[in-house]
Amino acid sequence: MKILTKNLIFFSIAFMAGAVVFRHGLSYAIGNRLHGLLWAIAGTYFLYNLLTGWFFGKRDYESLPLFDLGFRFHFAAYLIFNLVSWGWFKFGLESQFEHIGIVYTTALFWGISLVIHFIFFLALRKESIKGIHKEDIFE
Amino acid sequence: MNDRQLYSELLSAWEETYKKGQLTLWIFLSLKDGKKYVEEIKAFVEEFSNNTMTCESQSLYRTLRKFQHLGVVDFETGEGNKGPERKYYYLTALGMQLLNSFTGRNISLFFSEKIRTLINQEASK
Repeated sequence: MKILTKNLIFFSIAFMAGAVVFRHGLSYAIGNRLHGLLWAIAGTYFLYNLLTGWFFGKRDYESLPLFDLGFRFHFAAYLIFNLVSWGWFKFGLESQFEHIGIVYTTALFWGISLVIHFIFFLALRKESIKGIHKEDIFE
Repeated sequence: MNDRQLYSELLSAWEETYKKGQLTLWIFLSLKDGKKYVEEIKAFVEEFSNNTMTCESQSLYRTLRKFQHLGVVDFETGEGNKGPERKYYYLTALGMQLLNSFTGRNISLFFSEKIRTLINQEASK
């Protein structure tokens, strides 16, 4: 199955840019105790991810209808977000109120949902040939 | 609904169902005929299906990309007509084997003496 597609790469770049901006905004808002801004950043970041995922995911499916239930995009998002968060702490860019433990906790709980997603992906893979759903092959 | 309308609607409904899955056969047949770029495939399908099958170029590109991913179709680039290079698609050995098996099992049936006679009888009524 083809894993790395052009649209997944573009999504990863956009997602990484979003994650860096989000981390910056998060540390700024927490460091300055700006709770209103914190919610605004979180909401904007959520919408940004939703739109980029929808946009590149749709284009990816139109280009080649790989039947993976969005797992490749989910996995890329997981890796990028957690690497950016971990790097943020390693480079000492966090605010004085943040602790690296939250990065590991996030990775753990998100990782559990990723594993569940992967199980569903594996279960449904039987219905596809080389990653394309059998019903989508012949038109 | 009068008989004429009923006949027309039933025929449309049957054809709509019948055509599902046929584009693949037409694309494969056009490539068995020789290497072609997308516009040539489109022209072949429309001409030899008496325009009962139509397809948009974008839809064909998408379908061919999918077949290429599956290894039944591949392409080589060749010179365009005073324009950019074109992708000339062809059936791979797997694609050819697939088409031959499919037609052998599903299409050749219509060439048996009995079925041909029945179809011709119907047409002559």
